This record gives sequence, structure tokens and C-alpha cells, in this order.
Amino acid sequence: MSESGVRRMIAKLSRMLSEKQISCVELTKAYLDAIEKENNKLHAYITVTPETALNTARAVDARIAAGETLRPLEGIPMTLKDNLSTAGIETTCASKMLQGYRPIYDATVWKLLREQNAVLLGKTNMDEFAMGSSCETSYFGGSVNPHNTGHVAGGSSGGVASAVAGNLAAYGLGSDTGGSIRQPASFCGIVGLKPTYGAVSRYGLIAYASSLDQIGPITTCVEDAALVFDAIAQYDPMDSTSQGKQSSALPALQNDICGMKIGVPNEYFEGLSDEVTASMNEAMRAYESMGAQIVRFPLAPLKYALPVYYILACAEAASNLGRYDGIRYGYRAENYNTIHEMICKTRSEGFGKEVQRRILLGNYVLSSGYYEAYYRKAQNLRGAIVKGFDEAFASCDVVMAPTVPMTAFPCGRTHSDPTEDYLTDICTVPINIAGLPAVSVPCGFDGKGLPIGMQLIGPRFQEAQVLNAAYAFERETGEKSFQAVKMGVQI
Amino acid sequence: MVTREEIKNIALLSKLYVPEEELDTLTKDMQGIIAFADTIQAADVGDTGFDNINNLSNVFREDVVVPSYDRDLILKNVEGGEDGCFLVRKRG
Repeated sequence: MSESGVRRMIAKLSRMLSEKQISCVELTKAYLDAIEKENNKLHAYITVTPETALNTARAVDARIAAGETLRPLEGIPMTLKDNLSTAGIETTCASKMLQGYRPIYDATVWKLLREQNAVLLGKTNMDEFAMGSSCETSYFGGSVNPHNTGHVAGGSSGGVASAVAGNLAAYGLGSDTGGSIRQPASFCGIVGLKPTYGAVSRYGLIAYASSLDQIGPITTCVEDAALVFDAIAQYDPMDSTSQGKQSSALPALQNDICGMKIGVPNEYFEGLSDEVTASMNEAMRAYESMGAQIVRFPLAPLKYALPVYYILACAEAASNLGRYDGIRYGYRAENYNTIHEMICKTRSEGFGKEVQRRILLGNYVLSSGYYEAYYRKAQNLRGAIVKGFDEAFASCDVVMAPTVPMTAFPCGRTHSDPTEDYLTDICTVPINIAGLPAVSVPCGFDGKGLPIGMQLIGPRFQEAQVLNAAYAFERETGEKSFQAVKMGVQI
Repeated sequence: MVTREEIKNIALLSKLYVPEEELDTLTKDMQGIIAFADTIQAADVGDTGFDNINNLSNVFREDVVVPSYDRDLILKNVEGGEDGCFLVRKRG
């Protein structure tokens, strides 16, 4: 916490730099030293980039010495999920398939941050090709939760969440196809924003499911999420779905939600753990005490959201991952006699089991005789879910829901049925299906001290409204909802 | 219910080799996953006309030549290729 109860990290670091309380090189070295010390516990980083980080830090210090005004994210040490392309820096997608791959161009989000002299500490761990909810499908081994290293960080952006919650980066960018920003943010007790589909360019994001993928910030507080969103949400002709933002988020953080109508879909409260239910009820009471009005409503098509998501996401993944043939980049099998054998062996040896299962499901639902029953029907249900949310927003300003039905589960949990793991995503996938913005904010802890998160969801391109509702809650609840972990860089 | 043979065929279409000894486990996993996908069959939904989230239409840029990436840079990820081309070793 800092002045007037507002939690902030980026603005505080920026002020420390501009007031010369610390140089950017000193700050960057503090983070690099912390990574050196703690990364073997958290497995948050796949690649650390000290040379890139210190070169940028020196350039920032030169600008400070010359009396230049720092830009909002200038000199702030941060990280990128390892599916965001960084020219010349290894980008693995946590897969054997892309081990050693060095992109030849920057993702637009990284280009925007790099132009502000953001200090890139390294690339963070994830589920392989972003397919998973625990970070444990990573070829390099999963990231763990800084609140309890016997529990998962969540996924797929588990490395970013682990690094930010463990104070090994001030903030990071993740990607969210079915909850991959919000779920690990919830498990690690920090803030994760999935922007509206189209608000942030995906150029340079290694694709999983293109009609669902979005890039967004993972931060320690709402103000930082707004700052980073404002920096990366810009129209980009390199992504044909790009529209940019409708308004800046930071000026909207006014802490005034009196009269705000908060919708609560009944279907979201089925199957939650008792502690998550209690925490959500307490959050509703907190909102009512701030003058907001809780409006309950039914959203029947939600019960089909999870299978709809898996059908559509896997169908798109099967197509997107068709490009990995071992010819132009990435892994290539050693022993083969024909081109067909080379491609098949490359893909079978390069992809992990979960990735292969999703490719198989995708091709199954797209194959002749099954397309209408699965893909077409799922698309029609997607239309019904979109309509359901649109109707809800006619009578409420934001929708509130849990982020995950449970808290972070222990590492190494195995199931005889792979679909049991998919249930982790039940609260997050509807938002990607409908293309809406949603932020996960910490809202309490379970009996073991593991964080609980809730989502605030808004109409398309209303990130400012969503973040304002989250900001008010953050200020109202303070340390009841957020506790910093005592590891990494302590500011 | 999806069969072992269907899984073999889908794997072939997906350009994935499944070792014979893993086929039974994979078939069982896929049966579970497809049964899960099948739950949408209970939904009563007609044609909702859904196409894409923001009702976008395709846009085309002017058909003009613009600078692209350097060929040698592109080939760096495959150890430089050969004679400016991707190289696939001839076998057999």
C-alpha cells in the first residue's frame, strides 16, 4: 500500500527512478539477482535476458541524466510470456517443438513496450502452446505458486503470474484463450486483465485459437493493469482483427461506483468450493456497502460454454499447429526416409501429449460427417452465449463472477480422465467465447492461505468500466484481499 | 463411441504417429474427451448466424510491393539452409 490506500507498483518505481532514489541499472540488477536466487524455486523464467535488460537500463539512466521525462513504463523491469515473439531472443512456447527458435521480428505488444524502454528481464514459463491450466504441460517443467510452492501457479500464463507474485518482475504480459491470464492471476493472488477481442494486436503472438486469443497484463494492482493496457491497446494493421481501445483506462479509475449495477449470473455459482462461495458473497456485500446494486440473472447457455470452448479452440489449434512441419523452424526429427515420415516424426516427437490430444480432437470435430454435429453446433451455441451476455449488459454495467471454482491445486495432481482438468476453466471460457473484457482481482484467501480471485466482466471495449469497478474493490478491501509475498525484490 | 481405428485415421490426418502400445490409452482418453464434447448435443439451439465477434469483414491493402524480411535472416532458424533455400536432407 502507499499514499491514500492506493496500491501501485509501476508509478512508485517510476518516481523512484525519476527522483534518482535508485538508478535503472541498480533496479534491474536487483531483479536479475532475485531471479538468480529464486527462479530455481519458482521455475517462472525459461529464458533470462540480462544483456538486453541492462542495455535498456543504461539507456534509461542516460535519459534521466539528460533531464528527460520518463514515459509511464520506461525503465520498469518486466517479463513476457514465452509465446510472444521477441526478435533474436529464444521463444519456445514451452515446447520441445520450438526449443532454440529465435523469431526474426517483435510482437507488436513488445515493440510498443520496447519503444518506451521497458526493461525485458526474460521470457516466462507456460503450458505448452498455452494448452493447460496448471503450467505443468510445459516441456521445461511447470512454474509453482509463490504463496505455497507445493501448489501450481495456474496456467497457461503460470510463469508470468509466478514471476509477478514472487516479485521477480514488476509486471508481465500473458495471453488468454480460455482464462490463461485470469486463472493464474487468481491462483497467485494478483491482477490479470483479458482485454476485449480486438483491443490488443496479436501480431507476433504464437497462435493457439485465433478467434479467442488475446494478450493482456498481469500486475500486482489494478492501476498497473490500466497503465499497461493503455500502452498496448492500439490499432495495428498487422492484425486484421485489431481495433484498438475506445478510451484510456487509467483516467477512469475514479473509485466512484455508487449506483453501479453489478450483474451476477446464477449459473456461475454452481459447483464452487465453499470458500470461494463465501468469498464471493463477501465481495457482493462489499460492493453493496459502496453503493452498488447487485442484480441476479439467469444465463442458461453458460452450461454449454466449456464443451463449446474445447470444440472451437481445438478446431482452431489443429489448423494453427499445422505449420509445425520441421522444415522452416523449430525441431526436426533425425531419422526418416520420406518427407511424410519426417513431418509425422517431427510432430510426434516435438509436441507433448496434451497438445497432441487437442490436435486430434480438433481434426475429429472438423472431419467429414462430424463438422455439423460439433463445430457448426458449437458456433451456434457461441452465438447464443454472445447474445446472453449482450442482453445482460442492457440491464447491468458489469458482471461479477468467480475466476476459478477452487484455489490453486497441489502440484502433480493427475486424473484418469483428462477432461477433469478442463473444469478449472469453467468460469473463464465464457468470456473468451463472447469476446468480452474481464479482469481477475484478488478477493480473499482459503484456509491454507491460498488466494481466491473474482472476475469483473464488461461490455466489449469497456475496459475502463471494468477496471474502475475492480479499483474500487481493491481500495475498499485492502489487505483482506491482497498480501504481498515476501520473496524477490521488496520495494 | 470413437474407435481405435478412427483414432488411427485421425492421427494420420493430423500427421502424428501414435505408437501401437499407446493406442489403447489414447483411444480411452479421446473417448472421454469426445463424450465431453457430445454434451452440446442436448442443447436446443438453432442457427444463431454467428460468424465473428466484432462483425468484421475482410480488408485488403493496396497491392503494392513492400520491403519484406531478409532471406538470410529467415534461414537462420534452419542453420542457414542451402543456396538460399530450406534444406530437407534426402534419405533412403
